[in-house]
Amino acid sequence: MPRFDDSRPEMSLEEFRLLRDHVYSHCGILVHEDMKFVMERRLWPRLEALGLPDFGAYHRYLRYDAQRHAELEAAVEALTTHETYFFREPSQLKAFCDELLPVLEKRNSRLKRLRLWSAGCSSGEEAYTLAMLLKDSRRFDDWDVEVYGTDISRRVLSMARRAEYGASALRATSADLLERHFQPAGNNRVRVRDEVRSWVSFGHHNLLDETGSQLVPRMDVVFCRNVMIYFDQAARRRVLRIVRDRLVPGGYLLLGHSENLLNLGADFELVHLQGDLVYRRPELPGLTTTGGEGR
Amino acid sequence: MNPLPEFPAEEARYRALQELDPRAAGALEVLVTGLHDESWRVRHVAAEALKRLPSSREVAERLIRVLGERGETGARNAAAEALAGLGGAALGPLVTLLGHPDPDQRKFAADILGQLGLRAAELPLVQALEDPDLNVRVAVSEALGRVGGEHSARALEGLLTDAESLLRLSALEGLALLRRPPPLPVVLAMLEDTRLQRSAFRVLGLVPEVVATERICQGLASPVRSVREAALGALGTQVALVEPARRGEVEAVVRAALRRLPDAAQRLVQALECEDVTVRSGALVSAAALGEASLALPVAEAAREDRLLREVLNTLGRLGPEGGRALLAHMADLSSPARAAAAEALADLVDPGSVTALCALLEWAEDDLRAVVVRALGRTRSPEAVPPLVDLLVAPSLAGAATRALGVLAGSNRTAVLEALEEAVTRRATSAAVAALARVGGAPALPALRQLARDAEPTWRAAAVEAAGEVDGAVGRELARAALADEAVQVRAAGVRAMGRLGGPEAGALLRPALHDEDASVRLAAVEAVGESGATDRASELEALVRHPDGALAVAAVRALARLGMAGPGVLMDAAAHPDAEVVKAALSAGALSAVGVELAVALLGHPRWDVRAAAARVLGDAGGPERLDVARRALEAEADALARQTLSDAVERLSRR
Repeated sequence: MPRFDDSRPEMSLEEFRLLRDHVYSHCGILVHEDMKFVMERRLWPRLEALGLPDFGAYHRYLRYDAQRHAELEAAVEALTTHETYFFREPSQLKAFCDELLPVLEKRNSRLKRLRLWSAGCSSGEEAYTLAMLLKDSRRFDDWDVEVYGTDISRRVLSMARRAEYGASALRATSADLLERHFQPAGNNRVRVRDEVRSWVSFGHHNLLDETGSQLVPRMDVVFCRNVMIYFDQAARRRVLRIVRDRLVPGGYLLLGHSENLLNLGADFELVHLQGDLVYRRPELPGLTTTGGEGR
Repeated sequence: MNPLPEFPAEEARYRALQELDPRAAGALEVLVTGLHDESWRVRHVAAEALKRLPSSREVAERLIRVLGERGETGARNAAAEALAGLGGAALGPLVTLLGHPDPDQRKFAADILGQLGLRAAELPLVQALEDPDLNVRVAVSEALGRVGGEHSARALEGLLTDAESLLRLSALEGLALLRRPPPLPVVLAMLEDTRLQRSAFRVLGLVPEVVATERICQGLASPVRSVREAALGALGTQVALVEPARRGEVEAVVRAALRRLPDAAQRLVQALECEDVTVRSGALVSAAALGEASLALPVAEAAREDRLLREVLNTLGRLGPEGGRALLAHMADLSSPARAAAAEALADLVDPGSVTALCALLEWAEDDLRAVVVRALGRTRSPEAVPPLVDLLVAPSLAGAATRALGVLAGSNRTAVLEALEEAVTRRATSAAVAALARVGGAPALPALRQLARDAEPTWRAAAVEAAGEVDGAVGRELARAALADEAVQVRAAGVRAMGRLGGPEAGALLRPALHDEDASVRLAAVEAVGESGATDRASELEALVRHPDGALAVAAVRALARLGMAGPGVLMDAAAHPDAEVVKAALSAGALSAVGVELAVALLGHPRWDVRAAAARVLGDAGGPERLDVARRALEAEADALARQTLSDAVERLSRR
């Protein structure tokens, strides 16, 4: 059997529950019971950095220490995996390009202004992907376009701003896209080209923070893919309320393929596109909807 | 109240239902009308609202009438959804529905009872297995798997010999859900039926015996991918159930089976990309048994699923130095979770040749990954790892890990480590080098530490004071005493901590001013130091702090008094009355083995916080006498929290043995 460092403390079930509840009350992220091992491994470096002997001491640190707020953020960062890559879920992106972009172009043609939100953007791959798709569509060349990426983790946001990526992030990126939108950055890594980066901005945001969400401008489309898997039903409802509030009437919400709004009683209508199912904030009564067929 | 108004738009009808007051007269009928709406959104919001109505038999019966409306598929499904959310109120009417003349209605009843998952439905469902309609019997069988219980398990087992393969299949699936495998010969016989094979493998995985492993391994050799994956899923399930001591037996069987397959590694790569987590888990177990280094990258990528992290780390650890080299060479290509797992495993896979690659990784890796890489560097046993580790002492988040890594490295490269640390201290690179120098250098480092304790910079003074005590008690006390009067907070705090660790007859007197320090962090450190040093002469000051509104101070005071052996009844009672639950738990912990502590535990079994109740139960189990059994049992009956229940259950079990 392999030797793992035995000097590291184990996390008791009670410590797990206390830490889990603490994290949940901060940001709605729910760590399931079968994730105790993962939580233990991910928080070990925090204990090490703070020089704490065990998880009981860590819980007390989070409760009482003057640095507790910063540490809670560090804990949340450690606990949320940031696994994403460019051009993830291609069929959904194709439907977005082929069916939603023409609608958005028509809707916003007077103002020539487009706003997309990559909520829970992690290290930026999704936000840049969207900007690349908008660039490639050539529909918005002279428009005021912004793709706004937000995440609760400051660490991943700094990675997103750096815009440098390795092979794993590019595993679904074709050679021509790579050629068009990236430049070499050394050490087997690439950097997103400036013309794409100019359409993308990033900000720190807790999806459950209603006050903070007021800083997010009104959006035409929100991508919130594989983010709500971290939340329980109550937290999902709160997130969806905030997302709805940030969408313009008639604006679209795109979730991950394994997600839906069933049992969430959200204020969205389901839109059947040719290539995907998406959600839409209903138009104000009296206005007609466009794009896809609401059911 | 009128039925749902004829609004022109779906959105308006949706809003009307959402804003409907469920207590208003006629609300039930309005919502039932909503169940019939052409829009799924309106039907869904109606179903949601029905779940929120005051739960009653009347609502359940009304919804059951909707189930009977043939041709109204949308309404029937929405009614079923609402019924599944009604809980116990729906139980009686649904059990009655199991006797309805229409088999469609009976099937609905079974499906919804399954979704409700109430144990009270167990016997009626078992009886419904006699239903003349096959579809109903299958639905009942599936429901039994969700409802659970002894009767369900026995009934499902009885169905395994039914003539209808659909029933046998649903019974197998039900037993898999209940995690109740039938006798091994029965499962082995079912594996011969291709229609039942996947489910039979699922159940076979629940049998933690080598005989079962051998049969699973036959599945690994199947030319049919779905069978191979079912077998791997069974293996993943089985390994989780096998005692760690017997895992080697299982792996030996798997290894022998895989070595007979020319394309085993290829097949495992394919399985590691499977959607099903249990299949990937089985593939990881197989990869560990095979010890094939070429699988390192796909194995690491399996860490993208959090639940597989333990198995991934175990498997990577089995791939040897060659696996380690493969990981190191491709770190940039791995996804973030895979990199984290690979880095964790590398600590056990590195050798002196790994330093360059590890240092390259430090150039770009994320912070949390770097901490793990630092650990790996310490295990390379190479003198080349010394300079980068010393350089890393300047990073606050990595200083602790780098210090420890240098300590490990000094085991094989003491001179190189020492010289590098002395040089780092001389050029004032980072105060973290002081702790490392003391740890590695020992007594010969004392002159340097004395000098640093008089440095102009408080950071260096503080580091020297803390480090000196680790090397020599007398010198440590001398420097700590001086530090207690330092003008800088961080130096006073370091002096307090050092004094706490070193103790001695004067510790109490020396720590007294620190207990009243103007800075809160020094006061808190002083409370802890009093406990650690055994300064019983300061107990009265700590007793006063037990009632302090600052929970941190109060907890520290209770813990310190406990260490001094002076947490008497008064202290425990004061602490138990504190509004902060952490202080209450500290009181329980402090009084764990005393009669007062047991009294306190009994009183706190009804505390509103689950963690306090669990702590109280633990004290009762540790120190209570048999006369406490009744009170523990009563608490167990009333306990709703799973973890507190478990602790209470343990306590009851231990008390009943006394």
